[in-house]
Amino acid sequence: MRLLALFLTILLFSGSSLAECRNKDCMTAQFELETMGHTFHYDEVFNIGTNWYIIFDYPENNTNKTITFEFYNGISKVHEYDNDLVTDSISFSGSTFNEEKLNLVLNITITNEDNSTSDFNLKIDINKPPADDLFYLWGGMTVFWTAIGAYVLYISSKFTKLRDK
Amino acid sequence: MRYQREIIGLLGFSLVLGALYFSLIETGPAKFFTAPNAQKLFYLHVPSGLITYLAFLMVVGGSMVFLYNGSEDADKLAKSSTELGIVFGFMSLASGTFWMKAEWGGDIVSRFLTDMRLATTLAMWLLYIAYFVYRRQPDTQQVKVNAAVLGLSGLLMVPLSYLSSRFLRSHHPVIVGTEDQGSLDPSLRFGLYLGLFGFLFIFIFLLKFRMEIEEMERDILRSKMEKI
Repeated sequence: MRLLALFLTILLFSGSSLAECRNKDCMTAQFELETMGHTFHYDEVFNIGTNWYIIFDYPENNTNKTITFEFYNGISKVHEYDNDLVTDSISFSGSTFNEEKLNLVLNITITNEDNSTSDFNLKIDINKPPADDLFYLWGGMTVFWTAIGAYVLYISSKFTKLRDK
Repeated sequence: MRYQREIIGLLGFSLVLGALYFSLIETGPAKFFTAPNAQKLFYLHVPSGLITYLAFLMVVGGSMVFLYNGSEDADKLAKSSTELGIVFGFMSLASGTFWMKAEWGGDIVSRFLTDMRLATTLAMWLLYIAYFVYRRQPDTQQVKVNAAVLGLSGLLMVPLSYLSSRFLRSHHPVIVGTEDQGSLDPSLRFGLYLGLFGFLFIFIFLLKFRMEIEEMERDILRSKMEKI
């Protein structure tokens, strides 16, 4: 019983296992699109299970309308420019991919106000980190056997006492 | 039949071991899950949840019959099923909490407060804890009647808990009766049935055992009363 209480207490106070960073400082790569005046900050590795961010600096004289991010498998996001911002970002959910892949192409298309476009590609790797959820698996499994075992002991001792009477 | 109860228990235990072998060894880590190992809890978490509903529905049934005709057997069934519902409910809630922490992350307390499936299931479980505590006093006729009325609350709580993930705000997945039911992988279904029937047989074994004890308790009480 004490062990179970300890388990649940640890579980209650432990933080989320997924660490995410949304600052430029955390980004491992940078790409400058000189023709358009943009700078993109991103992590070259997309870790499955963790949200992936790409941060971009707007050009000084911004006349763009939308910016589209599209992976090879058709998953895409269209972002509308906010002229009040200097820096903006978008994210892809950690469950976007489920298998490892190297040199995955992310196509970025910038659409200007006159609907003319320019695009370029970034390459990232999809990484599947080793699962760190075994603690939860064995914690959960322990619950079943502890509960059934404790109940069987409880009714067995009750049965023995009654039989003796 | 002699040893019938023991055979049922052994069969249930074997089936649960089979479900464990199937989930932990036969099939690899699950795809499409943030926590591929913790997903293995599915094979016992879902069966324990379904057995909890079954147990509490038996409390409702027993309470109804007792209030209708005062049947002692119905009262015994309701009282014994409550204990088992609490045990299986604990298994379902606790294993679900471990799985939820691994798969969804975040704060457990706020999940229980904001996800209606979790909140209603916990409320149902606590209600039967109240029933259990209430029945720890001597079994007078008035106690039995009051307990039966309390037991009837499952009439509302069981469907509310079961249907909450369909109609109220909840992250809890829904499979039965949805399109996902047909698309459930056959291997997943096989493991689930192993766990389900395993727990069902263990439930029957424990229920028979518990009812036998209840009968013994009542016999002792009856003989004491006769002496007085």
